[in-house]
Amino acid sequence: MSEEYDFDVAIVGAGPAGIAAALTLARAGIETVVLERGQYPGSKNVSGAALYGPVLHELVPNYWEDDKSFERYLTTKKISLLSESRSVTIDADLRNFSQPPYNGVTVIRPKFDRWLAEKAEEAGAMILPDTMVEDLVWKEKQVVGVKSGEEELKAKLIIIAEGANSLLVEKANLMKKPKPKHYALGMKETYELSSKKIEERFHLSENEGISNEILGHTKGIPGGGFYYTNKETVSFGLILNMDVLTKKKLEAPDVFEEFKNHSYISKLLKDAKMVEYSAHIIPEGGFKHMPKLYGNGVLVAGDAAGMVLNAGLYIEGINFALESGRIAGESAIEILKSNKFNKSGTKLYKKNLKKSFAYKDLKTFRRASHFLENKHMFTTVPDLLTVLMEKLLRNDGKPRKRIVMTAIGHILRKTPLWGMFKLLLGAVRSL
Amino acid sequence: MSKVQSIEEKLDLTKFISDQNYAHITINPEICKSKCTTFQCVYGCPSSCYKFTEGDEAEGPVSFDYISCLECGTCKLVCPHESVEWHYPKGGFGVEFKHS
Repeated sequence: MSEEYDFDVAIVGAGPAGIAAALTLARAGIETVVLERGQYPGSKNVSGAALYGPVLHELVPNYWEDDKSFERYLTTKKISLLSESRSVTIDADLRNFSQPPYNGVTVIRPKFDRWLAEKAEEAGAMILPDTMVEDLVWKEKQVVGVKSGEEELKAKLIIIAEGANSLLVEKANLMKKPKPKHYALGMKETYELSSKKIEERFHLSENEGISNEILGHTKGIPGGGFYYTNKETVSFGLILNMDVLTKKKLEAPDVFEEFKNHSYISKLLKDAKMVEYSAHIIPEGGFKHMPKLYGNGVLVAGDAAGMVLNAGLYIEGINFALESGRIAGESAIEILKSNKFNKSGTKLYKKNLKKSFAYKDLKTFRRASHFLENKHMFTTVPDLLTVLMEKLLRNDGKPRKRIVMTAIGHILRKTPLWGMFKLLLGAVRSL
Repeated sequence: MSKVQSIEEKLDLTKFISDQNYAHITINPEICKSKCTTFQCVYGCPSSCYKFTEGDEAEGPVSFDYISCLECGTCKLVCPHESVEWHYPKGGFGVEFKHS
């Protein structure tokens, strides 16, 4: 290595994207450093959280053999619609997801990120916690290092994986000023509950987990709630479109509290003790609003690259972070060989990323984020279905109509038909 | 019976390593006073760090306290007047999540 550089590659951020890159590079014998502003990897991170088993298996083969790696494997998925004093739930119990590498597993980020970071360290990467990267070091138009306080650290290539608040991506001139409509606010509470109680309450066997996405009862704000079961905790949260939230002049913590007080939620959390409150922004601009993924001397991965998919049924970030990080690492190996660190060399990363499911999924669902802003999704649809169920099931001593007639009558009377037509058209186009 | 948990109660559960010498986020009360009528920061902040001020002695219409900041990034995004100067805390400082 030339004396000008301290490392071959410097990575900003020890989240899933940064560590996936570091692990890939270190395994290839590349001198790699990861700079993490938190007290340890994962200490600043907020997620649902669940990830795809096959993606993790590709990065850390047979990860499930180490029980520190994940919490529970997901066998049950529920989708619930809420309206005032009603709920309707679809419950999918999928036994085929109970074999390794598992379709999905839940994780606790401070544990998971640290576990993954240990793998990267074992492979030879250096991880520096408590280190805030404030700026980039430039040599003419080329990024050649990072600045932390008075210190400068030079590297041939920088991988920015700093997360959703992508200050360095802006400094690298790879994105415009971010707009609130392309982000959501996620708030989360973690509850302690014994594994026995979790298994009883959610009808799970040992090590099995559930995820539940919940639509409605958010004061008409686009968004939704979720919970995931961990070994001995439940992660419960609410995601809100921040543009609509602030325009409606509703305070985020109040909307969360009111959501929590719906009987569907309060039953789930009964007698569970809250142990932590957290929040974070989520990039939801999708494919159209991703920053440039490469520049002179830099690659961008994970949330910093806007690589989060929100397609209603799927809200995914960690998978894409792991995948884009791994591909950034693999591309960096090739770029180091080619010795071309300007854009003509680093564009290889985008070329490689385009072949991956991460980029393809973002492209496939590129219209979804716009569609999911449709207010009918969060008000009309939950109301329509929950009230219809109540009507169909109510016994009030009056003679019944045929089920089909009740349904048609209800829908025609209660629905803004043009709005729903547009919603359906949007669903067909974007999902 | 509905029960509301106060944000202060919730924030007591979260660990913060406060940097008494460095406010990682600052606001410009002059901008807030002269330009803002919508106060998105107050509504968007998930830990109620932004509060409406009372009385004539206040510097601006909104006060901000960085100590219980969750470092989420909402205020930076929602302020339409660029009154929020947003940085991360220095390395090792700020919120430390254990269960999230």
